[in-house]
Order: sequence, then structure tokens, then C-alpha cells
Amino acid sequence: MIKQYITQALAQLRQHPIISAVSIIGTALAIFLIMLVVMMQQVKTAPFAPESNRDRFLHVHYMSLSNKNWSKTGATSNQPMSERTIKELYQSLKTPEAVAIYTCMPMATPVSLPGKAATAIDMLQTDDNFWRVFDFAFIDGKPYDKATFDAAQPVAVITESVARILFGTTEGVVGKEFLLSHAPYKVAGIVKDVSTLANTCYAQVWIPYTSTGQDKDTTADGHMGLMSCTILAKSRDDFDAIRQEALNRMETYNLLVGEDGYQFIHRNRPYDQEKQSISFSANQEPNVEAERRSRLMTFLVLLIVPAINLSSMTQSRLRQRVSEIGVRRAFGCNRMELMGQILMENMVVTLLAGALGLLMSVAFAYMGNTLLFAQPFSNTLNPPTVDASILIHGSTFGWALLFCFILNLLSTGLPAWMASRTNIVTALGGRLH
Amino acid sequence: MNKKLFSQIKNEWRTNLGLAIELLLVSVVMWWITDNLYCTASVYFEPRGFDTEHCYLIEMGKLTDKSPDYTERTNDQQNEDIHELANRLRQRPEIEAVSLSYNSYPYNGSNSTINMQLADDTLKATNWVIRRAVSPDFVKVFRYDGARGETPEQLAEMLERDEIIVSDNLFTSTYKRPMPMTDYIGRRVYLFNDTTHSYPLGASVKVVRYGDFQSGRNARTLLFMHDFWDTDAELCVRVRANQDVDFIERLKADSEKQLRVGNIYISNIRSFKDIRRDFQQGQYNKVRDSITTMVFLLVNIFLGLFGTFWFRTQQRKCEIALHKAHGATNRMVFTRLVSEGWLLLLLVTPLALAIDFNLAYAELNGWYNDTTLEAGRFLLCGAISFLLIALMIAVGIGIPARKAMKIDPAEALHDE
Repeated sequence: MIKQYITQALAQLRQHPIISAVSIIGTALAIFLIMLVVMMQQVKTAPFAPESNRDRFLHVHYMSLSNKNWSKTGATSNQPMSERTIKELYQSLKTPEAVAIYTCMPMATPVSLPGKAATAIDMLQTDDNFWRVFDFAFIDGKPYDKATFDAAQPVAVITESVARILFGTTEGVVGKEFLLSHAPYKVAGIVKDVSTLANTCYAQVWIPYTSTGQDKDTTADGHMGLMSCTILAKSRDDFDAIRQEALNRMETYNLLVGEDGYQFIHRNRPYDQEKQSISFSANQEPNVEAERRSRLMTFLVLLIVPAINLSSMTQSRLRQRVSEIGVRRAFGCNRMELMGQILMENMVVTLLAGALGLLMSVAFAYMGNTLLFAQPFSNTLNPPTVDASILIHGSTFGWALLFCFILNLLSTGLPAWMASRTNIVTALGGRLH
Repeated sequence: MNKKLFSQIKNEWRTNLGLAIELLLVSVVMWWITDNLYCTASVYFEPRGFDTEHCYLIEMGKLTDKSPDYTERTNDQQNEDIHELANRLRQRPEIEAVSLSYNSYPYNGSNSTINMQLADDTLKATNWVIRRAVSPDFVKVFRYDGARGETPEQLAEMLERDEIIVSDNLFTSTYKRPMPMTDYIGRRVYLFNDTTHSYPLGASVKVVRYGDFQSGRNARTLLFMHDFWDTDAELCVRVRANQDVDFIERLKADSEKQLRVGNIYISNIRSFKDIRRDFQQGQYNKVRDSITTMVFLLVNIFLGLFGTFWFRTQQRKCEIALHKAHGATNRMVFTRLVSEGWLLLLLVTPLALAIDFNLAYAELNGWYNDTTLEAGRFLLCGAISFLLIALMIAVGIGIPARKAMKIDPAEALHDE
């Protein structure tokens, strides 16, 4: 049966090469753009190393703080937190598996060997839990542990590229010293390069923030600073429990800091990966619903306009096959079968074109990565590199298939329904209506 | 002629209905995107009130006690070191001006706000006024312009004298009527809700926007002189017009030997071209998406009409041949076919405009001038989307029509 659909569909494609080309281009273009939209969303929310646990992440990048003595107009401080605040509010929670604390964004920092010219690279300062929450691929050495972190030792994890810039090689580099911000640091480990698209943990060198005293650099009586945190839940099912626990904890803590007039405002934090990916300002809660709605509208426009096009072409093609339909009906084929046949035949074409569209979108994503995935507020000049693990997930194919199915149903459903309802006598006479 | 066209369209109403629905849908979406792009472009091309060409941000770092060069410095000493670094930069021949500031440079993701009140009146500006704590040369680096024609140099002198500089729209936005700040120059004002100390209002400057995609209507600022700096201060420089080439490399090359003061060193140098791109990438992405969607829709119009009319001209071969046999020129055949498409577009346009109007009335489109519905803008965007679609119709039908008009009547009628 399926073989017959395929033969039939291919024969038709050959019959009208121009129209077939138009249908295939139309379908492929639609799927191409739809899949680009899907991929642009996936790089923000789908898991890939070193953020393989994205679906278990809860983020608190910024916090809002008010003080009844600051002004009568309700002024607030909206910025990253101090280490103490994160420890009190989030690291003290019982439900999560781990909580990583790190500086809110990578900073360009000079690294060099003594006496050599320095290169500015992106540095992130972290705690030791960072290495549990994010799964970096170590090619040599290991991350710094709690003891090293607590002792504020000057050690660093660097990427392969940085190792090559500094030492010309990645072999035997662990344990060697280099200058970071003009202070000697020892290489603790080397990891594979990280794409800037892993925007929570991206950097080129990671060091314990205790080693620079960043944890002591605070404002607002030690409440605010430069730190953000990511909570790793044991499972997504724990999200509500964690949010509730965090809320309770903040209420208690607010009583304590309230003695000096302070009050923390959570704006429904912590945010999951999807919400965090559209959260750019510290004093506004992102609107996930609105973002989803606008994405849905995009999908609708990208589906409906080509569907109308394709349906008018299917209609024209069916018109030329109307006597065939009459004969089939005369020999006892029922309407459902006929409709199914037309739908399936078109599905073959749609899938063919869809595969082409998907292929084009992957190719384009590779070549046009700087155009497609350009990140707002990335603070780095390094391009958003992509690889298969970032771009292609099981769900990518699932989405492509789903959209092909919808497109096919939209574009062929009505013509097929109309064709199947044709009167046998009229159809045998060669007319659809 | 037109009557015949209408009956032809009526005769093929089934396929034409599909085309009409598509044209209607595309007309509405095209208008919506054009309208949004119009708003974006209108904001983008407003005067900015500052100039970042030839400007660079120099990020400072501070040695930690892990470094062999580390020396114990008090906060006061560190402040002196930062001033010294700025002075050394100022000595360099390629540099025109150097400034220090907090949360002040253009395209800055961080901002602080401030309240201002007239000392001898109840007039207040409390509505998201951006506070720019700067060294006097800040206005020279970013070339702020006085509302009464004051030069950046004159503005810098005012800051030096501890006078306050505000943007000209400071009160206008709060009191919803034009109240240029030039009327208040010389009056004394309170800052930080502190009524024990007042400052003279030195000048008002032309509206300084927050970024290229934020309208000046909502941008208000207040500048005052600040003199005490930490390493998280913003050290900005303007280089002379012909000195941009390799400026970053040249400065980096000298930074170790000449530009380390106390524990302060230069950790990174970024051009404002990069800072601007980084700050606005989200908006650039939106424009990119809008234009891609427009192109996609137009390509679809093309494909749809091309496909439909390819079939039609084949089916109407004899009709066209007959038409030609009766003396129609190639041009007439061509025009007739293309007109069929244009007529369809004309038919759906009133309906599309009605939908557009309702969308604008319901405030579901772009905002500009504090509104979503303006006669001029509505008609302009409607016309642009109409013309673009009409053009695609001409191209989409044109290709099959060209082929059709070359039909040899004798051959075609003979086939029949």
C-alpha cells in the first residue's frame, strides 16, 4: 500500500515538473523557516553539554532589594546578589540537589605567561558546586574541590583554546602556572571549548571567586554583589516544592534583614530555563506566556500562508485526475479510502520537501550561526559556535515531522475532502463540481 | 474589458477564493510588519543626543594580594591612582578626551535613577530620570549638545563648577505639556530628596536617548560631577578622528609599561561599535526576523500566483489563441493576465484595510508618538504593503503570462 502511494506520488511529481518544483519549494521553504525558529528556541532551552541538565535548572540571576529608608518613591536596587544572600536564600534549601554560585557574567581578563603579551579572555568566577551542576568535558586534570575553594587557592580551569594560546599545547599543561590579571594561577584542569550559547556557564577560564576576594566585594550592607546562582533540582517535579521552600526561606530572612529596613523582592524567582532565557532586566519579570503566544503566531503565519498556496495547487492537480477518482469510486472505493489516499500521496511529497527543508535549516544554522544565534547582552566578541549536539535533538525531528503533518493536513485536507465528495457520474465525466 | 475580467474571475471563483484569502491574509500580516518596522525605524532615526564614533571603553582591573606586584593601597590612594591613569591617557596624542563615570555611557545595560526638585518651587522630576555621575569631560567624550547651543566644552566647564545639567525634556514628560528646561536655567535644585543642599542648574542638553531603539520621549537624564572612583567606574576615551586604526592594539601594547598605576591595570578595551552591537542585538534580531517574514510572505505570493497561473494559462491556451487571432497584441494578453491578479488584490484590499484599522484601534500593532493609530502612518504602511504585494503579483503572473503571450494562435487552434 505504502509502496503504491510512493509510486503514485513520484509519478505525479514527474508529470508536472514545474508545479512539482513550486510545491516542493513552497513546502521546503516553510519547513526551513519553521525549523530555524525551532532551533533558535532550542539553543536557549534544550539541554546540551555543559548545560545537559537544563530541564532541571532553576536560575536566580538577579534580585531586587528595597529599603524603607532609601526614598519615599519606592526606589529599589535591582542587580546580582552577594554570596551571603545566595547562601542564606538558596544554598540553605533542602530540596535541591546542588546550588552553584558564580559571577553574573564573564568578564574579559588578561592572561599571559610571564614576560609575554597578554590576551583578553572571558573569565567566570565560581564556587566548587559549579562543577556538579554543569557537566564540563575534562580532557585533562580535574575541577577545583571544596578544600581548594575554601582555601582561596589561585587555581584555574581553562579551555583547550586558552591552553593553546598560553602554552601552544594541551598536553602536560595541568599544574603549570600562568598569569591571570597579573597574578600567578595554576592550571587545575582543561575542558573542551564551550559555546557562548551555553550562556549560564560559558567562559574560557574559571577560577574560585574566593581567590580574588570577589565574595567580599559587596554593596547595600553586604546584601548585593556580583553573584548569581543556578539551582539543580533532583527532578522537574520538585520545582514547585523548591519554589515554595525558597519563598518561605525569603519570608523568614526578610524578617531578619527587615530590622535594618531591608526587604528582598523575588519577582517569582527562581526562573526555569525557558523563563531565564528571556529575562534581561533585573527589575522585570519576563512574560513567558506572551513570548509563547508570539512564537505561536509566527508558526501560524509560516504554516497557513504556504498551506493556502499548496492547497490551490493540489486542487489544480486533482482536477486533472478527476476521471481517475470517478473510476475508483465506481469500483467501490469509499470516500474515506479516497481521502486517505490523497492525503497519503501528498504526505510523501510533504515529507520529501520537509526533509529538504530540515536539511537546509541545519546547513544554514551551521553557516549562518553568527546571524541566527546572535545573543543579546552577551558581553563577548566570541561567536556562538554550534555543533550537532547543540542543534540536533530527537525532538528536532519530532517537531519537523509534526509540522510536516500539520502542513499536509492544512494544504491537502480540504481539496481531498472535496474530491472525495464528488458525484461519481460527474467525476466520470471529468468534472470536479 | 473590466467587466469581462470580473466575469472571468467569477468563473474560476474556487481557485480565486483561495488566492483571495491568501492575499487578504498576507496583506494584513504585511501591513502589521511594515507598521512595526515603521515604528522601529522612526525611533532609530530620531536624533540620539550623543555620539559614540571614535569612542572606546577602557575596563580597569585591580591587582589582588595573589599578585607579586600588589601593594597595599587605601581607597583614597586608589582613587588617586585612577585619576593618574586617566591623566596619562589624556597625555597621549591620539586621545582627544577622557572621562570617568558610573552607569552613564551610552548603550549601557546598567542604570541608576535620581529625583530632582526645584528649590524654590514644588516642580519635581521623578519619572525615571537617569542619573549620570560623571567627570566633567564626559560631555566632551560623547559630544552632548546644549539646548541653547552650548558646546561640549562649555558644558564641561559647568560640570566643573558643580552645576547640574539636565535633558531638556525633564519636566515635559512629567507634566505632560511642553516645559523646556531652558526656562529654568540658573535656578537652584535639590537632588537625592535632600533639601539641605541645593545645586545651580547650569544648562539643559538636547534629549539624550538610552539606545537607538528607545525613543527620546521616554529618555530623561541628569548629569552631575562626581570625583571619587573605584575600578568598576567607566573609563571612556574619544580618539582623534583619524586615529581609530589599531588604536586598541597600540594602547594594549603600551598598557603594561606606561598604564599601570598602583594596583590598577587595564584589563580590556572595547570599542563602542561592539558595545552598541552587544546592547542592541536583541532588537537587531527582531528587525532581522521581521524582514525575513516579509520576504517569506512575498516569496509565497510569488509561488502561489506562479503555480496557479501556470495551470491557468495552460488551460486557457485556446482562449488566448483565439484572443490573439482576433487581433490582441502580446502586450494585451500579458496585461490581461496580470490584471486578473491585481484586480483580486484590489478586491481584498478594502477588507484588509478594515482589519488593519481594527487591529490598530485595538492597539495590537507598533507604538510610536504614544499611539498605534495615525492617519498618515496607517495609509503609508498600507500603501507600502499593497505595492510590495502588487509587485510580487506582477512577477508571479508575469512569468507564465510571458510564456502564454508567445503562443502561436495557428498552432494552438490547430491542436484543438
